[in-house]
Amino acid sequence: MDVGLFAQYVMNGLMLGMMYALVAVGFTLFFGVLDIINFSHGDVLTVGAFTGLATYLGLSKIGITWAPAQVVIVLLVATTCMAALGAVIARYLVLPLKAAPALNTLLLTLMLGTVLHEAIRLFYPLGANPQRFPPLLPTTAYSFGNFTLRVDSVMLLLAGLAVIVGIHLVINKTKLGLAIRAVAQDEETAKTMGINFTLIVLVTFAIGSGLAAFAGILHGLYYSEINFAMGLLLGVIGFSSAIVGGLGNIYGAIIGGFLFAALQTIGVLAMPFASAYKDVFAFGVIILIMAWRPTGLISEKISERV
Amino acid sequence: MTGAADGLLVSRDLSKRFGGLVAVDSLDMAVRPQEILGLIGPNGSGKTTFFNVVTGIYPTSGGVVEFDGKDITDFSPQAVYRAGIARTFQRSRLSLSLSVFDNVMVGNHMRLDQGLWFNLVARKDFKRQFEENFERARDLVKVFDPPLADRMFEAVGTFPMIDRRRIEICRALISRPKLLLLDEPSAGMTHDETKELMDDLLEIKGRLEDLTIIIIEHEMGVIERITDTCVVLNFGQKICEGPYQEVAEDKLVQEAYLGIQ
Amino acid sequence: MSKARAVFAVLLPGIGSAVAVTVYVILLLAVESQAAIAALLVAGVIVVLAAARFGGMARIGRSFAERENAMNLVIVLAVLAVTGFFYEDHFVLLLMATVIIYVIACLGLNLQFGYAGTLNFAGAAFFGVGCYTAAVLTKHTAMPHLLILVAGGVMAAVIGSLLILPVLRTRSHYSAVVTIAFALLFKIFLEVNDTLGGPQGLPVDGMNVLGWEFNDNIEIGEDFEVAFYVNYIVVGLIVLALAFTFVRRLERSWVGLNLDALRLDETAAACFGLNITRWKITAFTLGNFLTGVAGALYAMMLGFIAPTNFTFGDSLILVSIILLGGIGNPWGLVVATTILIILPEKLQVIQEYRFLLFGAMVILILLFRPEGLLPRPLRTYLPGWQPK
Repeated sequence: MDVGLFAQYVMNGLMLGMMYALVAVGFTLFFGVLDIINFSHGDVLTVGAFTGLATYLGLSKIGITWAPAQVVIVLLVATTCMAALGAVIARYLVLPLKAAPALNTLLLTLMLGTVLHEAIRLFYPLGANPQRFPPLLPTTAYSFGNFTLRVDSVMLLLAGLAVIVGIHLVINKTKLGLAIRAVAQDEETAKTMGINFTLIVLVTFAIGSGLAAFAGILHGLYYSEINFAMGLLLGVIGFSSAIVGGLGNIYGAIIGGFLFAALQTIGVLAMPFASAYKDVFAFGVIILIMAWRPTGLISEKISERV
Repeated sequence: MTGAADGLLVSRDLSKRFGGLVAVDSLDMAVRPQEILGLIGPNGSGKTTFFNVVTGIYPTSGGVVEFDGKDITDFSPQAVYRAGIARTFQRSRLSLSLSVFDNVMVGNHMRLDQGLWFNLVARKDFKRQFEENFERARDLVKVFDPPLADRMFEAVGTFPMIDRRRIEICRALISRPKLLLLDEPSAGMTHDETKELMDDLLEIKGRLEDLTIIIIEHEMGVIERITDTCVVLNFGQKICEGPYQEVAEDKLVQEAYLGIQ
Repeated sequence: MSKARAVFAVLLPGIGSAVAVTVYVILLLAVESQAAIAALLVAGVIVVLAAARFGGMARIGRSFAERENAMNLVIVLAVLAVTGFFYEDHFVLLLMATVIIYVIACLGLNLQFGYAGTLNFAGAAFFGVGCYTAAVLTKHTAMPHLLILVAGGVMAAVIGSLLILPVLRTRSHYSAVVTIAFALLFKIFLEVNDTLGGPQGLPVDGMNVLGWEFNDNIEIGEDFEVAFYVNYIVVGLIVLALAFTFVRRLERSWVGLNLDALRLDETAAACFGLNITRWKITAFTLGNFLTGVAGALYAMMLGFIAPTNFTFGDSLILVSIILLGGIGNPWGLVVATTILIILPEKLQVIQEYRFLLFGAMVILILLFRPEGLLPRPLRTYLPGWQPK
């Protein structure tokens, strides 16, 4: 196997892993604070990507064409909008169902995701077709034989890494992070300690959704294309990555994301004729993992008062 | 060879750990046939955990549980039930959207034919089994509260706490268990309601000669009134045992409760 | 004499409402103009709300509850009446047959969710298994077609058993995710793989029982030609009657009690001897069986199937039907299926926005009326039985 080609695959795998990891962290945060599965997460990613695209188009219209500014503004607008969307979802759709069985919340968020991506499909101009995402990052590339090292890919990877490190710092080194961890551990005790439960839930959802927007923009910048249906697959695989790492465990989610990407990349490498099967392969693995280790490779804390 | 001589339910060196937390610590205890034993101790002393280990909800971390001479350590909850042990739960675990009859019948699982053919095709036989068991359930409920027996097909959720406790006890008793484990049956009830419940319990005990009871309680009046002997737990360990009068005087016990009257 | 009058008094609201609904449905199906349809819908909602307000619903409910067998017969006659009215109309008859088949499929899902508490997001996939089984068996074997219906169910049950281990070992919302993964896997696999026709799909032979070719229009005399879909409506009704009876009896037995017990509180149920594994497997397998049978019948009716029939969105429609109808209530299923299948076909504006609207509808249901249109009544083991 040609080294260059191999390196290309590795690069693709890393980017994929980054995206899965970002989505997985969101899932794990939601589960941590509320014990629920929020299946609109993948579609929030899609909305974030489209918001970014629309922002770019808006910026072009009003004459802002300096790429770095565009990147920054697109990211800012997309992440803040999705953070707001996440908070709204938490406040008006998820929290009201807190007392109901967890299945209801899964169902509601799944349907919400459907509403979101159908809205894009129906109301965004030509929404049913894949949309070209503008190349906002420098397009210089260096060739090493079969391997083309794109500068923007490196930048995206570094940005993704920075975001993950940032999340780690927020969760572990700030008061907010402490509050989130407290609520995730034991809601009752956290409340009695004076933590505003509702606020923390909203903030957590905002953070998770902001991450999704970032992942969506990443997707657009790397693949130069976004489409209304991209959320479902990313969502299912992202969720499974979170499970693999043990729901509620952020590092597990990140590892899970890269693990899944590695799995898919290896699968494609090993069976080059079957690259169309890579999603089938991923889903098959998800089912097997759930059969073998339902609570993840790193175990999740489940406690039920008997 | 162990037998009923040692006790109907015997635990030897029974332990249960949750990670670093030791919930039950090398517990040796025994309840004699037809006895009513009170299991008491401050909150978090391992009483409910003990029940959960005996009924197979938690696996043991060490030690042995014997019932009627048989080793039932780490039996599944289903196997424990079939051996003749039934229980109630600390927070009432009834299915609120099902009827009183439905809830009691859940406890009657052993006696009901579960086959698909029987239930779907042999409807005449089903009807007979249904009517038989309806009579049994109603008669049992009548002991606790005659008006309740006329409302067998109403949803449990519509009843107040005391009725729900009664229904839960009926669910446990309908299968004629040899051992009944009661977990804080008087929680959430007034003094008078508790007295009524205990009256009914003693009456049932009188009718079912072969019944042994272990009861977890915080209301010492109940313990004093109905139990033959007590076991006191603190931090998962047995610190005292004996009839209530003796146990109430014990220094260790008084310390553990910090100001028990 | 007064006993007959008493029986009649109980039956009257039920029969009255059945006749009213039959006329209403005929009108709705016959009318073409969008404005008229919208008007009819608004009128329908008003009438229903008024009936609920003035206790009519309770009386109708009594008819169904106390005189079940009679009411079932009335409903069947009503369906046949509507069928007869539209004997030439291929579109309407296809719609009716589709509704009947979807009800059968949803009865299966209802068994899994409404009774056992396992939400199956791969309903369309298992339906598809039934379809593909019919396609393969009609074209490549000489198996009698009625048996192929059963084979479709069996295949769906068998494929379902592949998922059984993860479904058993996980809590309810995890096992739902397993079914989501399977639903996506199924569609992608069919499209990528050419052995089962790939994205183009497969042709299916029409049903043929004892020489009666189901996909040929029926000619009576020289002027009468009845659309062939009537055959499928009749067979569908028979299968539906069997499935309905099956599900009803199951619910009204110790088996139904076990399923409810394990759905509502698994731990407590285990403490009273319930074999959780056995009953979860039973419900899941039986549910998939019903869905597979429905799929096989559907395939033979359409004559052709392709992976685009079995998307994840289609599974979500099935789930929406169950939630709208009222979880665990088979009659609610019938009403919900009728509404959610017929409405988008008649009101063109809804067709395009179908997924969006259904999604929003489910969200509203979950927030404000999780029991659905017809909440599930308490279990009556033997209808009409009174304690002595």
